[in-house]
This record gives sequence, C-alpha cells and structure tokens, in this order.
Amino acid sequence: MVELIPIFMFLAVFAALLAGYPVALTLAGVALLFALGGMAGGTFDGRDLGFLPGRLFGIITNPTLIAVPLFVFMGVMMEKTRIAENLLSSLSRLMAGTPGGLAFAVIVVGMLMAASTGIVGASVVTLGLMSLPTMLRDRYDPAFASGTISATGTLGQIIPPSIALVLLGEVLSNAYQQAQLNQGIFAPDTVSVGDLFAGAVVPGLILVGLYLAYTMLVAFLRPGTAPAASSVADAVPDAVPDAVPDGSGWQLLGGLLPPMLLIVAVLGSILAGYATPTEAAGVGAAGATILAAAYRALDVGVLRQVCRSTFDTTAMVFFILVGASLFSLVFRGYGGDDLVHSWFNDMPGGTWGALAIVMLVIFLLGFMLDFIEITFVVVPIVGPVLLAMGVDPIWLGVLIAVNLQTSFLTPPFGFALFYLRGVAPPTVSTADIYRGVAPFVLLQILLLCLLFIWPSLATWLPERIYR
Amino acid sequence: MGNHDPRRLPARWGAELNTRLLEHADRVTEATARSVAWLTALMVVLMVTVVVLRYAFDQGAIPIQEAIVYLHATVIMLGIPCALRDGVHVRVDILHSRLSERARGIIDVAGHLLFLVPTCLLILYFSIPYARNAWLVLEGSPEVGGIPAVFLLKTLIPVMAVALLLQGLAETVRRLPIILPSHFGSER
Repeated sequence: MVELIPIFMFLAVFAALLAGYPVALTLAGVALLFALGGMAGGTFDGRDLGFLPGRLFGIITNPTLIAVPLFVFMGVMMEKTRIAENLLSSLSRLMAGTPGGLAFAVIVVGMLMAASTGIVGASVVTLGLMSLPTMLRDRYDPAFASGTISATGTLGQIIPPSIALVLLGEVLSNAYQQAQLNQGIFAPDTVSVGDLFAGAVVPGLILVGLYLAYTMLVAFLRPGTAPAASSVADAVPDAVPDAVPDGSGWQLLGGLLPPMLLIVAVLGSILAGYATPTEAAGVGAAGATILAAAYRALDVGVLRQVCRSTFDTTAMVFFILVGASLFSLVFRGYGGDDLVHSWFNDMPGGTWGALAIVMLVIFLLGFMLDFIEITFVVVPIVGPVLLAMGVDPIWLGVLIAVNLQTSFLTPPFGFALFYLRGVAPPTVSTADIYRGVAPFVLLQILLLCLLFIWPSLATWLPERIYR
Repeated sequence: MGNHDPRRLPARWGAELNTRLLEHADRVTEATARSVAWLTALMVVLMVTVVVLRYAFDQGAIPIQEAIVYLHATVIMLGIPCALRDGVHVRVDILHSRLSERARGIIDVAGHLLFLVPTCLLILYFSIPYARNAWLVLEGSPEVGGIPAVFLLKTLIPVMAVALLLQGLAETVRRLPIILPSHFGSER
C-alpha cells in the first residue's frame, strides 16, 4: 500500500484542483496533508521537508528564471501600448485586397506576439478582441475566423522566445543533469534554455507555414470563407491613429518594421549566442518601452499598469513553482520517483511505449492545467526517467510543447477555446468554434507525426549552433 | 432580550471587526503592490546596464547583477500575497466558473484554512531557523564584490509566509458575509 501513496497523492491533487482553489496552494496543501498523515503513520520522514527553504531560495535566485519577469514586461508593454494591435492593422492594410489577407495578418502577428506572451489565455483573448470583430465584419466564415484565432493564440507555446519555453528549458536542464548523475556520469552534458529555443525554431516555423498554407488553400478553394477586405479603409480600425493615419507606404513600414525587428533581434541574439535569454529579455523589455515612447503611447499611467501587470503575472508563475516544489518534495519522499522509474522500465514497447504514455498523459492534463503547472509538476517527475532511457532532451521539450499546444486546441476541453468563447460575440456559436479549429488540430497532429519520424527537425539547429 | 441572544452579539462585533480589518489589510496590501511593482521597471533598467557594461565596455558588473536578483526575489515574495488579494493566482475553472458566489466563497474559505494556513506555517517553521542562521553570520555573497546581504534575501522567505498567512486570513474574513449571510447581513 505504502508504495502506492504517490499515486493517491496525484489523484487527490487532481480531485482537489477541480474545486477551483488556486493551483499553487492546492499542490502545496495536498502534499502537506499527505506528509503530515505519513508522519503520523510512520511512513514519511518529516526531515525531507527541511529541504524546503533551500528549494525556495533556489527558486527566487535562479538566474535563468529572471528572464520571466523581463519577457512578461516586454509582452505587456507591447499589448498595453497597442504596439501589437498597430502591427495587426498595418499588416492587414498591406494585405487588403488579397483573399484571406486578414487571416494571414492574424497568423503573422500572432506568431510575433507569441514571442513574448506565452500564456495561452492572454494571447487568445488579445487576438480575439483585436481581430474577431473585424474578420466577422469582412464576412469571414465565423468557424474559419475563430479557428484561426484560437490556433494562432496558442503559438505562444512553441515560438521562441516564449515564457513557456524558458520554464520548460529550465526544468529539462535540471532533469537532464539528474538523469546523468543517476547513471553515474559526473561530468554531465548540459542543455540550456537557449538550446530549447533553437530546437523550437524549425518546428515552430513549419507550424506557421502549415497554418498559412491552409489559409491560402481555403481562400483559394472557398473564397466565400475568407474574402478579401472590401476596401483599405475597412481593413482594421486604426489602433494608434498617430502612427498609421493613412495607408501610405512609409506609415505602414513605421508600424510594421520596428516591432518585427525588435522581436527578431531578441531571438537572434539568443540563437547567435551573443546574449543569454535573460539579457536578451532585458534588452527586449527596454526596446519595447522605447518603441512605445516613439509611438507616443507611453506615459506614467501606462508604465504603472505595465509594472503592475508584470508584478502580478510574475508572482502567479513563481507561486506555482513554489507549490510544485513542495509537491515534488513529498512525492519524492514517498518514493514516487522509483515508482515512475520501475513503471517505465516495465512498459511494453520500451522507450517508445513510455514516451507514448507520457505524451498521452500530458495531452489529457492539458485539458485541465496550463503549461506552467504541467511543466513544474509533471516534467520533473517523468523527465529524468525518459532522459535516462536515452531520449534527446531538446526533442522531448519540443514534443511536449507541441503536444500541449494541441491539447489546448482540442474540443471540447481545450483551454484556448474557452478563452475565445469568452470574448466571441453570441453570433459565433460554440459549434462554429469547434468546427473551425478541427483542421488546425489536424495540422498540429501532422507536425507531431513529423517530429516523431524526424527528430532532427528539433535537434538539427541546436547542434549547428552550439556544438 | 435580543441583546442577550448568544448568536446575535458576537455576530455584530464580527461584522464591524470584519470591515475594519479588511480596510486596513487592503490599504497595506495595495500600497505594497503599488510600490513594489515599480521594481520590475528598475530590473529592466539594471539589466540593460549590465548588458551595456558587458558588451560595450567589456566590464563585469557583479553588484548590479546581484541587485537584479534581489529585486526579482522581492517582486516574487511580496507579489505572492498581493496576487492572492487581486485574485490572479490561476485556478482550474472547469467547474468553478459555474458555481454560485456562495459556493465559491465556501471553497475559498475551506482552501485557506485547509491548504493556505498549514502551508504558511510549514514554511515558517523551516524558514525561520534557515534565515536565523544566515543572520547569525550575516551571510554575504558567494561572489567576490557581491552584495553582502544574502541574509536579507533569505529573510524574504519567512516574510512571504507571514504576509501570505495574514492575507489568507483577510480573504477568509472577506468571504464570511457571503457564506454566512444570516450572521452578517441580518442587520440591514
């Protein structure tokens, strides 16, 4: 019985999570109750909990994770000062007259925004508010419009430099070291957040390419689904009128080029090895602020909002890490690691069987939990075991990211769909949303298959850059 | 007499205490959140400074780098209790969003008492000796030329636990009128 306690812990935590109490405290509280029960019954060693302050200190002083508030700052700045909205309006003006042009613009802007938000809810809501009304007014099919927006909103999981990849990279890096130490390798190879960024570039671009190709196909085969904007003036109402007063070329470039350059520069400096993700995030945040000032969209009030929002989001992310670390401390104390290890080793199909099970579990968990929780709770438990079985850490990271993204899109439970439902007008039915997103889910599954067949899609670029 | 009804008297006290406590707590929390939030902008400024020093002048800047860590840790540890009041901590809302306000209040109060309070006490129990040991030797930076105040950084852990505990109690008090309307709402 005692060796099954880790399983009960998992079941108890998921039951408790359903009540809707904050995730971080549910993780911590359930773990603590199990620990106290175990101490009373003599099955848990209370001294294990003594590691907690050291863990917490490690979390708040972790140099890589400092990139999180800085990237959040950059993303919030671009959202609150409407740089992102402005980008969308410029791009859709550029595409006006092309069938499916607005959908193109949404995908490209979503890809660039993804770079800095990375929290599914935020990007789907922002994109939905910015573009769904316009797409509907331009007589886009509601199903196609909502599918495009939901799918694009989840790109934040996979397109670097996303916060999701920073967190996943950090967790995988620890898991990889631990896996090698367990095997007696005392000079372990390392994998960094930068490696994971590099690994996600090619799959991310393939995905965006698939989205664009699908849009083109729809616009070509069924022009009624994604019509051309009726006129330039109708394309998208100006977000920042000063910056884009008319459709002239220079004005368009002014709204388009600087934010794109900023994002490309941030990502490029990390990939080229010039800067650590943390440094690049700091420069990106400063760059977004300067850009906002240049567009005359910055004042003390806006800056205060940006700071406050960064403060709240940072606290939210790290609190989950705090709760998850208490959970994994107790989970380990009960021998949960060994349990997972022996399970995986007995799995029919060996490494592939284990990997398939992990992917299925993560997919299902994605219906309930956001990227952050899964990264902090599940990956530290299954990661070291899978990596010890010889799975490539970058490939594993990219698989997890794409898998979760698929999960967030899959009806009826996908996160992204709930968020879009929240901001969509009543004329868009829930069935429309499900129908519209289905082709995108198929594209996601296609990418997952490609990654399974050719792991080098993920590992090629990092090897080129770093080795 | 109505005044001697054992159920009524403490209830009215409770209602008044409730309002006053909450006003105080909210004022402190909001003031903290407002001022500490600015530290995120300071982090950006310092990070850019580090980058400029390193790439333009080929200079290391350990004290500035450590200052960023201090700010980051402060933002997190003071942000956690503030975020509890602002309700930004993520929840699984598949069922939660369909519940009545009262049911949600009951879940919150149960969670605060069953999960939040014990967690805070546990963190306190282990982190007070942890911080005290750092104070005893006035633990400094592991880096040469770093900021000699790691003991302050470690003190943030019990500080967070106390602040979260207080905020959790304030949130419990805030929910009481919602889940026990007969005790609190009956005066008007």
